[in-house]
Amino acid sequence: MIRDITLGQYYPAKSVLHRLDPRTKFVGTLLFVISLFLFHTFPGYGVATVFLVSMIALSKVPVSFMFKGLRAIFVILLITVAFNIFLTPGRVLWQLGFLKLTYEGLMQAGRMAIRLIYLVVGSSIMTLTTTPNQLTDGLEDLMRPLKRIRVPVHEIAMMMSIALRFIPILMEETDKIMKAQIARGADFETGNIFQKAKGLVPLLVPLFISAFRRANDLAMAMEARCYHGGEGRTQMKPLCYRGRDFVAYGVTLVYLAVSVVFRVKGI
Amino acid sequence: MSIELKNVSYLYSPGTAYEMRALENINLTIPEHQFIGMIGHTGSGKSTLIQLFNGLLRPTGGEVCYNGENIWGDGFSRKDLRSQVGLVFQYPEYQLFEVDVLQDVCFGPKNQGLSPKEAEKQAKRALEHVGVPEELFDKSPFELSGGQKKRVAIAGVLAMDPKILILDEPTAGLDPAGRDEILRQIASLHETRGITIVLVSHSMEDIARYVQRIVVMNQGQIAFDDIPKRVFSHYRELEQMGLAAPEITYVMHDLKSRGLDVDVEAITVEEAKRSILRALKAVREEVRT
Repeated sequence: MIRDITLGQYYPAKSVLHRLDPRTKFVGTLLFVISLFLFHTFPGYGVATVFLVSMIALSKVPVSFMFKGLRAIFVILLITVAFNIFLTPGRVLWQLGFLKLTYEGLMQAGRMAIRLIYLVVGSSIMTLTTTPNQLTDGLEDLMRPLKRIRVPVHEIAMMMSIALRFIPILMEETDKIMKAQIARGADFETGNIFQKAKGLVPLLVPLFISAFRRANDLAMAMEARCYHGGEGRTQMKPLCYRGRDFVAYGVTLVYLAVSVVFRVKGI
Repeated sequence: MSIELKNVSYLYSPGTAYEMRALENINLTIPEHQFIGMIGHTGSGKSTLIQLFNGLLRPTGGEVCYNGENIWGDGFSRKDLRSQVGLVFQYPEYQLFEVDVLQDVCFGPKNQGLSPKEAEKQAKRALEHVGVPEELFDKSPFELSGGQKKRVAIAGVLAMDPKILILDEPTAGLDPAGRDEILRQIASLHETRGITIVLVSHSMEDIARYVQRIVVMNQGQIAFDDIPKRVFSHYRELEQMGLAAPEITYVMHDLKSRGLDVDVEAITVEEAKRSILRALKAVREEVRT
């Protein structure tokens, strides 16, 4: 069961999007999100759809993976849609007690739903085509200007990559300790919520201890190899923009310009 | 009180891209009161196999029977099974969690439904058996040394009074003295309590001295299952599996090939010594006459 969990949600494939620089993908995703809020008419969403569909096609990731992320926001989506449908004042189409279904409400709900869904799918494209390590490298580089105002950018990026690295290890550890305690007669399944919470103690105590031990070992190993923060540190695989990245930036900017024009013209 | 595996196979993540065959067509019987050594290279499937014994893993094919009853059949209590088939995992010291040693060892017996008093009695007996001195009983398990932690963890399973005790590499990470002591105590459990013991290891030397039978695992299958002497006579094949016979087997085969009539089946240094002395004596007498 533990084996099934992939790190982050990276989907390995060979596509242009996979080869793009993580910074390009990050900025591109950000611009796509901005465009979603610039568009406010259905023809506008049509343009966004064309852009999104072509990105999905380019990524060579199965479509089902793209929509997996939607499961997480399903409840939020439902609540948003319901509130918008019933609570927007306007032309009443149908009424049940105090609940009024309005034409404006329907349109508003539709817009919100499209925005939310596109937002999640759009960012899924980024996380599916970029390994977590690339992502943190890219973020570190993009956040570099924040160093001026004393934000510990390198340290944050390092913490992120270590955390990501340790997820599968801790999963495995949990599995192991759980089995060891089940072998000693522990029961993690039956009982009411309090019994269940109490039953987790034999799992959580060893897990925390092992996490601290690992952290300690890792810190020691890093220091033994002279790690002392980001000062003067170079990268093994420095990020470097290539031709395709400039093309990607160009395409995204044209797309953003279209959305600005749509907004200004009120289409 | 026997465990029987019939045509058992085990797949990890069946039906996905991560599918991996860990065990294939395993037929194995573990009878009462036997001391069995299980040996195999890393990834040979031995850790998966022992988790089938007490129902922590469900085989993807075949049957696991305890006293003739299928443990995955309807109405079979795997919780009871686990208190009869004790399993000590590799690095068991990482499972300790209680405030003191005695409480930790009591965890198993309490889960079996014993009263605190009885549980304590069982725990003390188990701790005594693995050689943990009484002054450590109220210490925090995290203050102990590696070897002591390991003993406490083994006692934690032993306190449940299992009929069969399975130990996965109990000597990993111990110094030679600590290793010998733990192995001796395990052997004495077998002698005094009559517990069936399955000792998983990758060191032939450790196993050779104590066990009555060796099961060699290779690539998810049982390669050999015999008494130690006969298993070691396949030392060439063992090498191909990334294992090795005890050093003494090599010495004896070497001596034999150079014309000294020694017993190549000697397993321990003591046996080898006797055999070599006997052979030398014979040679000397031959020279004299």
